[in-house]
Amino acid sequence: MSDEQNSVSDLLEDNQYKYGFTTDVESDTFAKGLNEDVVRAISKKKNEPEFMLNFRLKAYAKWKTMKEPAWPNVHYPSIDFQDISYYSAPKKKKVLESLDEVDPEVMRTFEKLGIPLDEQKKLANVAVDAVFDSVSVATTHKKKLMEQGIIFCPISEALQDYPELVEEYLGTVVPVGDNYYAALNSAVFTDGSFVYIPPDTISPMEISTYFRINTEETGQFERTLIICAENSYVSYLEGCTAPQFDTNQLHAAVVELVTMDNAEIKYSTVQNWYAGDKETGKGGIYNFVTKRGKCAGENSKISWTQVETGSAITWKYPSCILQGDNSSGEFYSVALTNGHMQADTGTKMIHIGKNTRSSIISKGISADQSSNSYRGQVKIGKNATNARNYSQCDSMLVGDKSSAHTFPYIETANSSVQVEHEAATSKISEDQLFYFESRGISRENAIEAVISGFCKDVFKQLPMEFAVEAQKLLTLKLEDSVG
Amino acid sequence: MSDTLEKLTEETAFLDLHKNFVEENKPNSALSAIHESALSRFEVLGFPHSKHEMYTYVNTKKLAATAFAVSSPSEKIDLIDKHIYSGCENSCLVFVNGVLDQTLSRLQAIESSVKISSLEEKDDVDTLLVSLENENDVFACLANAFCADVTVVEIPDKGQVAVPIQVLFVSTGDTSRPEMHSPRLLWKVGKLAEVKVIEKFVGMQEGYFTNMVQDWKVAEGAGVILTQVQSDPFGAWNFQKTRVHIKRNARFHSANASSGSVLVHNHFEVRLEEEGAEVILNGVSVLKGKEQVHNFIRIHHEAPQCISHQHFKNVINDEGRSSFDGTVIVNQGAQLTNANQLINNLMLSDDCHADNKPNLMIFADDVKCAHGATIGQIDEEQLFYLQTRGLSKKFAKELLTRSFAESIVQTIQFPEVVKELNNTLLKKLEVENV
Repeated sequence: MSDEQNSVSDLLEDNQYKYGFTTDVESDTFAKGLNEDVVRAISKKKNEPEFMLNFRLKAYAKWKTMKEPAWPNVHYPSIDFQDISYYSAPKKKKVLESLDEVDPEVMRTFEKLGIPLDEQKKLANVAVDAVFDSVSVATTHKKKLMEQGIIFCPISEALQDYPELVEEYLGTVVPVGDNYYAALNSAVFTDGSFVYIPPDTISPMEISTYFRINTEETGQFERTLIICAENSYVSYLEGCTAPQFDTNQLHAAVVELVTMDNAEIKYSTVQNWYAGDKETGKGGIYNFVTKRGKCAGENSKISWTQVETGSAITWKYPSCILQGDNSSGEFYSVALTNGHMQADTGTKMIHIGKNTRSSIISKGISADQSSNSYRGQVKIGKNATNARNYSQCDSMLVGDKSSAHTFPYIETANSSVQVEHEAATSKISEDQLFYFESRGISRENAIEAVISGFCKDVFKQLPMEFAVEAQKLLTLKLEDSVG
Repeated sequence: MSDTLEKLTEETAFLDLHKNFVEENKPNSALSAIHESALSRFEVLGFPHSKHEMYTYVNTKKLAATAFAVSSPSEKIDLIDKHIYSGCENSCLVFVNGVLDQTLSRLQAIESSVKISSLEEKDDVDTLLVSLENENDVFACLANAFCADVTVVEIPDKGQVAVPIQVLFVSTGDTSRPEMHSPRLLWKVGKLAEVKVIEKFVGMQEGYFTNMVQDWKVAEGAGVILTQVQSDPFGAWNFQKTRVHIKRNARFHSANASSGSVLVHNHFEVRLEEEGAEVILNGVSVLKGKEQVHNFIRIHHEAPQCISHQHFKNVINDEGRSSFDGTVIVNQGAQLTNANQLINNLMLSDDCHADNKPNLMIFADDVKCAHGATIGQIDEEQLFYLQTRGLSKKFAKELLTRSFAESIVQTIQFPEVVKELNNTLLKKLEVENV
């Protein structure tokens, strides 16, 4: 293994921490601990309408009665929920003068991923000059969206400006007591995104969290609510391929999607959070996310695409409740684990309406000493006549200490359904790479070819620029592990 | 609070029952040790709740709440002849209410090649005790606690058993007060030995709970062909746990045909312990009315180059319920594993349920593992094709469902059993009004 390759893995690790994203502890950061007063204080601080306070209190009461789930196939030391500060003003990162100050290895990642120069600056937290001010870009986008009547703003803003919309939909897909982390999120979330697409509107652009202003640090309990009214369409992008660091170890986000008749939401995620020390696995982010969409209307569609490459522990099941007749749900996922990462991810497709259909394509890549589990549920209710499901979950193992697991749950209570599930396991082997190399193709390109072939079905669902970056990211992450 | 109390009473009822059982049976010290160990495990595990991973799809509440009596072993019964397959007339072991009946069993054909005894050897006792320590199935614990005897069947090294051995489990049943009994077997198949076994479960009337546990120790190079036929009446519970340990280059091929009852639960735990071990598990069930069959399978690939194949098919009609929960675990270092798992369900009514959980847990990178699960109905095109050939719709459906189930039945190596299943299990598909 060349030095060059070794250094690649390093750059994705604590090198960046040398630059210390220092947190200025400001006076309005709450003391650690969680109780009802804290929940009330958060609501007050955000000047929220009363229904919101009740929502939070209900969630908190539920949370107190619940236990941390023990069923996921992941292991970690127990979390002390009283050792977390549940409200702090946006944290400031150290601003660098120019790109020259950025760790050259980080720069190399950016180059490899093909991130444009201005974006690189933003990601590396370099002061951005006026021409490329992201705020102005975001404002332009926002204006364009507003022209069509599309609301896109932080959820705290939406609570002030459109409380009736939030009240109508918040918690309808993920109820306050849905699961331990969702309940915690419902009680203490501080911000997130809110999107409303009015009827008969096709969003003129892909909406991305990147455009959102004033939300560099949304905190560890993010809440997203997207509502797509009749005959509308939106594609929403979350995250980015560049390594992301955060001072909070626990992340418990909740995402709710609602589609009305003939509406469609396409939700794409690329996640590359800090995965912890490569040798010991310590210090990585715990990503415990509840994502769920409800196809409330007829002929509606929700499509989840995710590329998960970071976090020490990922616990995430983007799901679809197919309530409206003829509605459809899709789930495309690539989950890569390396080092000591653990991922337990998959989906739930709950078929309620007639002629509902869903498809699941999940690709798990597990390298080094990591563990990668697919856990998916396909549940077909008694009234879901002619429901269809196709699931495919493939695993690729890289290295003999890694592990791959599949836990599908298929439950049917209707005879007119057709459900298919298949899974297979394969490996990326020295032989395959040798063959490529003997044909004059570099090792790097060889890995890329194997990975892109394996993940093709998922990548083709991603928006173009995301797909290119995602593929490069996977190659980069695996360079060290193969051979 | 009331929940806890209720739960406590359910388990205490069984503990009290065990006291009576011990008084009546007066087990020897070896058996007592097993009972004790099993009971303490039972107390730790407790009856499963609805979220229990092993019993996610199996509702055992009613079973746990039933007040059972311990079956008395001495009852005499006739009419067992019709359940003995031809070819096994002189090689059958008959268990009446969980206990081997010496007078009814006929062993002339196998006396010389098979040794049948009660549990005596210290090694065997230890084996059973060790397996109990890690027992996670609460009903298997219960079976160990309530076994009146452990029958040890030993096939010596290089032993070739010329005729198939039939093991017939007869339950007398009691409709007024359900009885419970626990046949317990230990099979020891010596090196390079070959044996074929047919196990059949029947009942004289409803009202019993057969809770069987058997251990198979398959030594190097040995071959076992096991066929299980479950044909209990509807009002009977049938639980069985089959634990199999397979050594180097040994084979264990099994086929299970279940016709279902109020609750049938088959639990297979197979350990491929040395290189080249091979296991095949096939299963078929045809369910009607409110019949249920649940399969729970764990296959552990502990050594490299082992093979496992599973193929299960269920035909479910009316309010039938079937579930399959199978996991293949490939340990670290078990390279060149070849594991397959396929589950096909045919659902014929809107009130039936089919739940599947085919799991893979893989800790080695050079393996070939695949699983598949399908749930569907009769293919409209196939049906149409047969109708264009002049077959009535009803007959066409019957033909298609029958052939669906038959593909597993035909893997059974005993013509007598196949013939019987054609007239019993597959007959169930004929009368139905599809």
